[in-house]
Amino acid sequence: MLTVEKLRAFGANVEEGLQRCVGNETLYLALVKKAIRDPAYDQLREAAEKKDLDRGFEIAHALKGVTANLSLTPLCDLISGITELFRHKTDADYVPIAAAIIAKRDELTALDN
Amino acid sequence: MTAEIRNSELPSEPGADRKRKILIVEDEFVNREILSAMLASEYEVIPVGSGADAEEALRRQFGEISLVLLDLNLPDRHGLDILRELKDDPRTSKIPVIVLTSDKEAEVECLNVGAIDFIPKPYPIPKVVQARVRRTIELSEDRDLIRYTERDHLTGLYTREYFYRYAAQYDVYNRDVQTDALVLDVNHFQMINERFGKQYADGVLVRIARAIVSAVGASGGIACRRSADMFLVYCPHLLDYQAFLDGIVTAACGEDKGRIRIRLGVCAGADKSVEMQTRFDRAKIAADTVRGSFTDCVAFYDNAMHEKEIYAERLLDEFQAAIDGKQFSVYFQPKFDVRPEKPILSGAEALVRWIHPELGVISPGVFIPLFENNGLIRMLDHYVWQETVERIGEWKRKFGCTVPVSVNVSRVDMLDPDLVETLVDLIRGGGLEFSDLHLEITETAYTEDARQIISTVNRLRETGFVIEMDDFGSGYSSLNMIATLPIDVLKLDMAFIRNVFRENGNLRMLKVIVEIAETLSVPMIAEGVEKEEQLNALREMGCAMVQGYYFSPPLPPGEFEKHIREWLPQGREKE
Repeated sequence: MLTVEKLRAFGANVEEGLQRCVGNETLYLALVKKAIRDPAYDQLREAAEKKDLDRGFEIAHALKGVTANLSLTPLCDLISGITELFRHKTDADYVPIAAAIIAKRDELTALDN
Repeated sequence: MTAEIRNSELPSEPGADRKRKILIVEDEFVNREILSAMLASEYEVIPVGSGADAEEALRRQFGEISLVLLDLNLPDRHGLDILRELKDDPRTSKIPVIVLTSDKEAEVECLNVGAIDFIPKPYPIPKVVQARVRRTIELSEDRDLIRYTERDHLTGLYTREYFYRYAAQYDVYNRDVQTDALVLDVNHFQMINERFGKQYADGVLVRIARAIVSAVGASGGIACRRSADMFLVYCPHLLDYQAFLDGIVTAACGEDKGRIRIRLGVCAGADKSVEMQTRFDRAKIAADTVRGSFTDCVAFYDNAMHEKEIYAERLLDEFQAAIDGKQFSVYFQPKFDVRPEKPILSGAEALVRWIHPELGVISPGVFIPLFENNGLIRMLDHYVWQETVERIGEWKRKFGCTVPVSVNVSRVDMLDPDLVETLVDLIRGGGLEFSDLHLEITETAYTEDARQIISTVNRLRETGFVIEMDDFGSGYSSLNMIATLPIDVLKLDMAFIRNVFRENGNLRMLKVIVEIAETLSVPMIAEGVEKEEQLNALREMGCAMVQGYYFSPPLPPGEFEKHIREWLPQGREKE
């Protein structure tokens, strides 16, 4: 079961995330669970594989907003990185970066088991 | 400037059990939930996830939504397009929008399109978000309230109070621009209202307002609806005011060219140290100089008007001192019964003169209209009545007979609920009979406040006063009036008499009036008779009494006594 302690251990800035949820722990944890089940992660991988930079930016930008609001810092940092690459249409291999993001997300998913 | 303000545009004030509504347009569920959690305790939150849902919510509740929080990246539309549409639609353009973005580049564009503020991502702590939302709603509601009170609801122009403030503000930022104060006044607007109905008349006013705005709006000019049918405009100097007015009149008339006439007064390029309101008072003075003209509809405030204004102000300032110092003299113009071969003195009219210590004799034609405008006329009338009663009493004692004297009773006097008592006290105090003092009530008073005036006149007649209808023929006289109104004597207007004799052919009109007055047994006095031929013609028609320079100008009491001695058969001085 996902807890704030586990999230803190993961590296999330739990205090900040909780504060945004007006101190409501149940809401915070529910939103984190919802966020990590977001199908957008799979879409991000597809975009990376297809090198669809515009679509990749769109998805990454949205994911960045959500993870930042929940202060899932380690995941958010990775997503920020790929967002900037997509934004500047950098010629890079996006597949391993997307894979790293999904692995980080999976770490979070594992916390819920 | 032209947008019409409707009551529905003012957001209704939520009661204790109603929260203000905030529309959150954000496609990310998590973000939407976080914002909702931050705001739910204070507001009713309407969360939607797409542009289409946002449109639907606005369509259903546009009058109730106090704020929109708008994400830019939506699945179906870009937030900027939604913002643009919101601001372009008059129904939603007043709803404040806060954009949710961390994109610095988008911020400028959002502000240009009409966003009021931003909330970045990740969101600041709830207190910050709540404070921004609260402040935005407060500002927006204050602005709506101001807009509601600063605009005339019919035309969308400024109301008077705000207009003067904005005009003053205009001067602050445009010190060196020659700026003119204009007054536009619709001639006989009341008649338009009565003849064509309120809806048509309102349409005229709206068209005038729009035409004014389109004529001066682009140059920074501002306009206000000062009263029902009067508009004020403050604008950079225009070269051709006749063309300006022609444009407004054409727009106002629409299809009905010639139906509406507007007079324009211009106080051009006044010194900016002159008070704003004074500049418009001057433009109004100018406008009123062309009130009756069909050909000249534009007038500029000039030096002559300025001199006249200063003169008028001086007279008003010195009024009280003149009353206290008895500078007003009551003169008496005799009235003669012209039926006998040798006319007989039958009475007089009391007329006031201002013998000013520095300005000399001032004509009542100059000061009476001034005093009528501000209520001082009542004080002057009372003064004249008192003086007249004293004179009648004096002559009664001296000559043992009565010369009835008529005094003017102004329209404002007629509205005084204590008028009858005041006059009764005056007569009793002077030891006179009620029939000794005749009361002249101007014809137009009967047409303006007919019901009340008639009831007051009836009470005066029941008391015993003789009522003379003054200035008959100068206004909207109708023969029907003579038959239905309570009057004892009809006084034909001086100008009417002059016109009748000047135009020769209209003697028939005069004859008809004299005959009708005779049929109704209402004696008639012709005023302003100056020539023998006029006297003869009036006599021939059967007019009983005559007053005018042909016999005598208004005389000081001492001079008038000579007439009493000369003409009154029983006018012998008592021992």
